[in-house]
Amino acid sequence: MTDEGLRFVAMALAIGLGAIGPGAGIGVVFSGALQAMGRNPEAEGMLRTYMFLGFALAEVPFILSMVFGLLIGFKII
Amino acid sequence: MRIRTAALAALVVGAVLFFAFNLKFPTFPPVSVKAEALACIGGVIDDAGHCSKETVFPITNSLLTTVVVDVLLVLLVVFGVRNQMVPRGFQNFIELVVSSLHDFALGVDKKNVAKFFPFVGTAFLLILLSNFVGLVPGVGSIGSCQVVTDPVRLAKMEEDAAKIKPTSFDALPQQCDHHEHEELVPFFRAPTADLNMTLALGLMAVILIEYFGLKALGLEYLVRFFNFREGPMFTVIGFIELLSEFIRIVSFAFRLFGNIFAGEVVLIVMGYLFPYMLPLPFYAFEVFVALMQAVIFSVLTLVFMSMATQAHGGGHDEHEAAAH
Repeated sequence: MTDEGLRFVAMALAIGLGAIGPGAGIGVVFSGALQAMGRNPEAEGMLRTYMFLGFALAEVPFILSMVFGLLIGFKII
Repeated sequence: MRIRTAALAALVVGAVLFFAFNLKFPTFPPVSVKAEALACIGGVIDDAGHCSKETVFPITNSLLTTVVVDVLLVLLVVFGVRNQMVPRGFQNFIELVVSSLHDFALGVDKKNVAKFFPFVGTAFLLILLSNFVGLVPGVGSIGSCQVVTDPVRLAKMEEDAAKIKPTSFDALPQQCDHHEHEELVPFFRAPTADLNMTLALGLMAVILIEYFGLKALGLEYLVRFFNFREGPMFTVIGFIELLSEFIRIVSFAFRLFGNIFAGEVVLIVMGYLFPYMLPLPFYAFEVFVALMQAVIFSVLTLVFMSMATQAHGGGHDEHEAAAH
């Protein structure tokens, strides 16, 4: 395998593996928020804010792995 | 009608400036993690594109854009708000934005909103405008060409140049010649796509959080970090709390930087992959992300500040409640 091929495999692995945890996490966040909204529709406005907050916090590992994946792919590191 | 004339005039002036100063387009995806130096006060730009050691103050493209954003914000407020008793026109919009932000902050912490809102609201507007500026066409893609002489980067460029197939775009005059080892240095770069800016924002936020905590609770605030009264379990928890305060700086900085930088790279990749229609949904998503990141930064700061000003809760209250 060439050096460049290894780089692409590394990029794919970094982004793909990094997406597993946040994917599950974001699912949990939205399912919890939807259930809460269904049970208590009056609180929807407040829930939506905190839902997006949870979404953003769960997303961080994926963003980090994507940045590093792109850095590997573009030969910056 | 007036708007159309103004837009046309802006287009003509832009085109004249573009050709008069010989600005360049890139031929290759211009991905750079760091902000490039445009000028170095007291020093020179060396071969690798960095400022030399004796530089007093490097001026990067990110810094230039930050100044533009700041001026824009100040002008927006100074000319938008003239303290009319009955607001008209643009002042309506600004008052709507500020009052809805204030209402939201009121919902999170009613008691201390007057103390927290100045920083949180300003940070929100600054980050929002910074993120949006990065999405303006021309930011990050118009600049001047710089000849690369650094041997390491030169080898990488030659390797890349060998892979580029000639296209019909090669005939266009305004672009950097990759085969002549020219590289584009953009004039503008989104301020929040520079780690320095986001790190500064994160540091400011965390220092203010600690300041408000110390001011509201005095030395009692430190009990949550150094808690030796309630057994070894709480000592360990306090240590973890202390560590998490420092992790907050990193997470603030990298969340904002990562989202904006990754968004730019995604847009560039999609643009080069298939330039027609494909980047459109991603662009819309980046507009959403720009708004969300501004909201998230300010809401997290607000929530952490409000948590810091509340008396030590974990275990202490329960302990007392159990005793009574």
